[in-house]
Amino acid sequence: MKQLLKIQVNGASHEVAVEPYAVLLDVLREQLGIMGPKRGCDTGGCGCCTVLIEGKSHYSCMTYALTVQDKEIITVEGLVTGAKLHPVQQAFVDHGAVQCGYCSSGFIMAAKQLLDSNRNPTRAEIRQAIAGNLCRCTGYTKIVDAIEAAATAVQ
Amino acid sequence: MSETSYIGAGIPNIDAYDKVAGGRGYPINVSLPGMLHGKLLRSYYPHAKIISIDTSEAEKLPGVKSILTADDVPQKKFNPIYFMPVMALGANHDMDILNRTVRYSGQPIAAVAATSLEIAEQALELIEVEVEELPAVFTTDDAQAEGAVRLHDYTENNVAKHPYFETGDVDTALAEADRVFEHTYQTQRVHTCYLEPRMVVVDADSQGNLTVYSSNQHLFGLREKLAFVLDMPVSKVRVIKPPYIGGGFGGKLDIGYIEPLAAIMSRRTGRPVKFVHTRAEDFITGARNPVNLKLTTAIKHDGAMTARCGKSTFDAGAYATHGSTVIMVHGLFGFMYTYNCPNRRWEGVSVHTNNMISGGYRGYGAPQAAFAVESQLDEICVETGLDPLEIRIKNAHREGEQHPVFNQTFTTYRFEECIRRGAERIGWERRTPPNSDPGAGQRGLGMACVPTWTSNCTGQPDLYEHSGAMVKLNPDGSADIATACIDIGSGQNTVFSQMVAEELGIPVDQVRMSSVDTGNVPFDAPTHASRGTYAAGGAVKAAAADAKLKMFAVAATMLEASPGDLETGAGKVFVKGSEASFVTIQEVAARADSPLVQVTTQGPQTDSTPFRGTIIGVSSLNPKITPIPCGAMFVEVEVDTDTGKVKVEHVVYAHDIGRVINPVTAEGQVEGALQQGIGYALMEHMRFDPASGACLSADFLDYKMPTALEMPDKIETIFIESMEETGPFGAKSLAECCLIVPAPAIANAIYNAVGVRVRELPITPEKILAGLGKL
Repeated sequence: MKQLLKIQVNGASHEVAVEPYAVLLDVLREQLGIMGPKRGCDTGGCGCCTVLIEGKSHYSCMTYALTVQDKEIITVEGLVTGAKLHPVQQAFVDHGAVQCGYCSSGFIMAAKQLLDSNRNPTRAEIRQAIAGNLCRCTGYTKIVDAIEAAATAVQ
Repeated sequence: MSETSYIGAGIPNIDAYDKVAGGRGYPINVSLPGMLHGKLLRSYYPHAKIISIDTSEAEKLPGVKSILTADDVPQKKFNPIYFMPVMALGANHDMDILNRTVRYSGQPIAAVAATSLEIAEQALELIEVEVEELPAVFTTDDAQAEGAVRLHDYTENNVAKHPYFETGDVDTALAEADRVFEHTYQTQRVHTCYLEPRMVVVDADSQGNLTVYSSNQHLFGLREKLAFVLDMPVSKVRVIKPPYIGGGFGGKLDIGYIEPLAAIMSRRTGRPVKFVHTRAEDFITGARNPVNLKLTTAIKHDGAMTARCGKSTFDAGAYATHGSTVIMVHGLFGFMYTYNCPNRRWEGVSVHTNNMISGGYRGYGAPQAAFAVESQLDEICVETGLDPLEIRIKNAHREGEQHPVFNQTFTTYRFEECIRRGAERIGWERRTPPNSDPGAGQRGLGMACVPTWTSNCTGQPDLYEHSGAMVKLNPDGSADIATACIDIGSGQNTVFSQMVAEELGIPVDQVRMSSVDTGNVPFDAPTHASRGTYAAGGAVKAAAADAKLKMFAVAATMLEASPGDLETGAGKVFVKGSEASFVTIQEVAARADSPLVQVTTQGPQTDSTPFRGTIIGVSSLNPKITPIPCGAMFVEVEVDTDTGKVKVEHVVYAHDIGRVINPVTAEGQVEGALQQGIGYALMEHMRFDPASGACLSADFLDYKMPTALEMPDKIETIFIESMEETGPFGAKSLAECCLIVPAPAIANAIYNAVGVRVRELPITPEKILAGLGKL
C-alpha cells in the first residue's frame, strides 16, 4: 500500500505517495520529474543514479524511498545557482570530462561529496572517491583532471 | 597547416553545460501521454521448440493492453544491422520478431504492454509456456561436430559464413621461408557497456505512420529495418534524432526485438509504447564475440614477411546479426591487409551456437585480430632477436603506395613516425629482459600497432557510406546544422560546430545543432567505422561551403564587389586585402531574409540583391576514398609475481590522424578507448552457465570493467598531423584505432615483465601465476 513520503529535493519540499518497494531513483525521475539522476543498471553497479542524501552520496537505485523520510536530497540540478554552475560542474565542462554525459551527474555528486570533506585531495584520493562510478567514454582521465581543478577553484 | 580560428582548438563539448546541469535530452527520458510500458518474456531454455503459449490469465490482469506471441507478428526473416541495405547479399537473414523456436537463453518469446511497468512484469509471470527442449551447442567445436544439432536450416554444420581469400603463392613462400611461426590465439566475449540502456518509444498514428524515439546509432538504418520488418514504406516511419545518446560504441547499430514489437503494439492499442532494456537484457543483446585465430607467419632472416596465413573461427551465436560482417572486417582489415606481404591467405568460419547473438563493437573484429597479429610479432622478435619496432616498420606500407584492396593510394600515412615518437616518449630504451627487477613487482614495456584502418566504408561492398547535411543562416547571424549523424558521446556536435564556424567565419557559439528526424534531413550512414569526423564532417563542411557561396553572392552586392574577391572571418564578410571594407554576416543574413528595401524620395529602389531567401547550404555526398589512419601504443606495466596482478602504469599512444579538429575531444577518444582496452586485456569476460547457456555476468557487479582505480594516471596521446587533402580541414579518423591496440600492447608488456606469454584473453592473475609455475 502506498505511503506518504515527505522529502526535500534541491531545497523544495515534496509530498508524494509511494509504494513501499519504490526506490528513490524512480520517485525522483517518474514522480518528481527530476531527470539528472540517470538509470544505468538498477543494481548499484554503475553510479549514474548517485545523489546526495544529507550530504552523503548514495545510489538512488538502491535506496528505498521510504528510508529517506524527511531527509534532504541534492541532485545535480540542485548544484546550479541561477545560470551559474557549481565549480565541479564548470570544471567538468572546461576540462572535457563530459562525452556522452550519461554518467556525468553521478560523478559530479561523488566529487561534490569528496570536496565537501576534503578540500585538497590528491589524484589518488580522487580516484578512490569516484571508484563507485563507471564511465565508458572518458577513461576517467579528464574527470580526475576536472575534480582536481574544481578543488582549486573551491579553495 | 593553414591558419584557422576554430579548427584545432580544444573547445569544450558544446552540450556539456546542459549535460552537467542534468540535461534531459536522452531518449530514455521520452514520455508521451497515455504511454504503455512494454516487457519481454524471455526464454530460460537455450534451444527449444515452443509447443504452446497460454496468455489467457495474463490478459485478464487489469492494465494489460496488449500481448504478442509468434502468432501475432509477421514471420519475416531479417538481418538487424543498420549499415547494410536490407537486400544486401552479404548479410544472413535469419531473425524473426518472435519465433516458435528459441535458439539462445534469453531470446524473447512474448511481449506485454501495460499501463505500468509493474503490471507488465506481473503479466509475464502469468504466461504459461510449454516447450520441447532441443539439444544445445555452446562451443564452435561442438557446433561443427558430426551429428551436432543444427540451429538453422540454411547452414551445414552450423557454419553461417565461410570466406576464403588468397593472394600470391602462399605454399611456396612457406616452403622457402627462413623461419615460420605458428600460434593460436583466443579472445573472449565482451560487451560495449554503453551506460544508457537500449530503449524505444513508438507512437503509431491512426493513418499508420510511426514516430520512433530510440537510443540508436543510425536514424536511417532504424527507419529502413523497421519498415522492412513490418512491410511498410520507409516514408511512414519517422525516426526522431535525440539530442544525446548515452553511449553506443557499436552496441546500438542494429534493430532489436523491442522496436518492431513496440510498433505493432502501438498500432494495436492506439497508444505510444515504450520499452527500456534492463541491464541484464542489454548484456545479452550484442557483444564483441570470441575469435580463435590460428596464425602462421613466414619471414626472412632480416624480418621481411614472406607469407601470412590465418584461420579465424568466430562464435556467431544463435543468429547471424553482425556475425556475417564482423568476420569479414576481422579477416580483411584486421589481419590480411595490415602489413605488406606478397603472399597472404585467410579463412574465416563463422559458426552458429546456442550462445547470445553477436553485435558491433568499436573495432568490429579488428581487436580480436590485432591481439593475435601483434602478440605474434612480439613472439617472433623474442625468438629471433629482431627488434619489435623495426620489424613493424620494415613490413609496413608506405605513403603514396597503392592500397592492396581499395582503389586508392595511402594518401597520408605516417606509420613510422607513430612508432618512433611513441617509443621516444615512453622511454623504450629503458626496456630490459623479463624478470630484471629485484622484488616481486616486475616492470615491463610492450607495444602494438594498428598499421592500417579506415576512415569510412567507401570501397567495402554493400555498406552505406554517404552523408548529408544542411547549414542555414539565421537573420541574427547564427547558423543551424541539420544532420542525421548522431553524437553518441564521440563529439560530433562539437566538431561539426567548429567546422561550420570555420567555414562561415562566425563564432563557434553561434552554431547550433537542429532537432531533426528522418523526414527532414538527407540520409547519413551510422555513427560507426570511425567515420563521423571525416565522412559526416565532410558533408557538414560541404553544406557550409554551399551556404557560404550564397552568403558571398548577397554580400557582393552590399559591398559592390565580386563574390570571388570576398573572404570571411570574425563574423564579417570583407573584400580580400581590404579588411576595412566589410559587412557583418548578421547584416548579410538579415538582408537575404528580409522583405525590406530601401525607400527614397524617388520611391522604393530596385532590389539589387540577386538572392532573396534564406541562406542555406545542402550536401549529400559519398567520400571518394577512405584515407588510412594508423597508430602505435606503448605500455608500461607492473606485474606482481606473488599475486599475478597487473597494473598498467603508463600508456603512450601515437596516432596518424590527418589534422586534429579538436585535441580535447580527440584525446578523450584515446583515453576512453584505453579503459575499454584494459578491460578487454585484463578483466572483462562474459560468462555463461555451461548447462543452460544463461548469462552469469549480466550486471556490473559480475562483469568487471576498469574503474578510475584500475586506470593509469599517465596516459599520453601524440597526434601526428598532416593535411589529408580529401578530409574536412585535413582530418582523417581515430576512434576505433585506439581500441584495436591496447590488448596486445599490454600482453606484450606482461611478457616483457615476467616472461609469461598468455594467448588467451583476458589475462587474469590466474593465467599469469600458472605461467609462472605458481598455480
